[in-house]
Amino acid sequence: MAATCELVCAWRRLSLGVPPRRALWGGMRKKVREPEVVETAVPVKDPPILVCPPPRSRKYLPPEDLQSRLESHVREIFGPSLSEDWQKASLKESKLKYRLLAQLAAELGHAVPSSRLHQMCTAGDVLAFYSTQVKDASKFDELCTAELPSNLKIMWEH
Amino acid sequence: MTGRGTASRYLSSVLRNGLGRYVCQLQRLSLVFSPGGQSSRGARGYVEEKVLDFAKQNPGVVVYVTPQKCRSPTVVAEYLNGAVREEIIADKTVAEITQLVQKLANQSGLEIIRIRKPFHTDNPSIQGQWHPFTNKPSALPMQSLRRLEQQPNKV
Repeated sequence: MAATCELVCAWRRLSLGVPPRRALWGGMRKKVREPEVVETAVPVKDPPILVCPPPRSRKYLPPEDLQSRLESHVREIFGPSLSEDWQKASLKESKLKYRLLAQLAAELGHAVPSSRLHQMCTAGDVLAFYSTQVKDASKFDELCTAELPSNLKIMWEH
Repeated sequence: MTGRGTASRYLSSVLRNGLGRYVCQLQRLSLVFSPGGQSSRGARGYVEEKVLDFAKQNPGVVVYVTPQKCRSPTVVAEYLNGAVREEIIADKTVAEITQLVQKLANQSGLEIIRIRKPFHTDNPSIQGQWHPFTNKPSALPMQSLRRLEQQPNKV
C-alpha cells in the first residue's frame, strides 16, 4: 500500500513538476530565418474570376406572326415543289430539315432539342413545337408573382 | 372498446347552422410540407395546382402554406368552435389530398365520436307530452261547485 503510494507520487512529480525543456513539435532547431526577398520583377496575374455566370434563360414566347414566318421560310427552302398545304411538307431530306430548323432557331432564339428531332416529320410538327410556350420559373415563383387571394398566405422563407 | 368505454355525444349542429344561412365552420387550414423530400410530393403538387382554387372557392377559410424541412407533411384544420384536427398527408396523391381537404372544409368542428341517437329535435312534443293525468277530469273544479251549491251565500 505504501509502496504504491510512493510510486504514484514519484510519477506525479516527474510529469507535473518540471516544465518541458523543449517545445513538443520541432522546437529544437535553431531559429535562423533568411530575410524575405521582395520580388518586384514578375507582375502577378489577377486570379481568374470563378463566379459562375447565370444559366441561359430557357424562356420562349411564340411571336404573333409565327405562322406567316414559318410559311415564308418553308416556301423559301422547299422552293416551287411545295403543294398548297405547306404544313404537310415532309422534312425527310436531312438538308432541307437542317436548313429550316437552323434558320428558325437563329431567328426565334429557341432550338428544337435533339431528343425531339425525330418527331419533326412535317412542317406542321415544327409549327406545333414553336407554338408551345416554354416557361422558365418554377411553379412556386409563378405562384409568388401571381395574384394571391387575400385568404391565402404563403411563408416564403424556406 | 364498447360504446360505454369510448366517448359519445348527441347529434347536434353548431348554433343551428344551415337553418338560416350556412357558415363554413372551417376557420384555418395550415399546410406544412417539405420543399424537397419524397413524402411531400403530393403536398407540393397540391400547393402548385389546387390550393389557389380552394382558397378562391372558400373565401372564409384562411390557408397558411409553410414550406419547411419536415419529416412528414401535415394539414392542420382549426374550426370555429375551437376544435383542431391534424391529418398526415405523407405519400398521398394530389387527388387524395384534394378530397381530404374538401372533407375537412365540409365538416363542422364537432368531434368524430359515437353519436348516441341518429336524431335530435328541439320540440319533441307539439300538444304536450302525455302523462297519466292528461285527459282525466280534475277533482278541484267539482269540489268548489259542490261547496257553492251547499252554501250559496258564502262566496
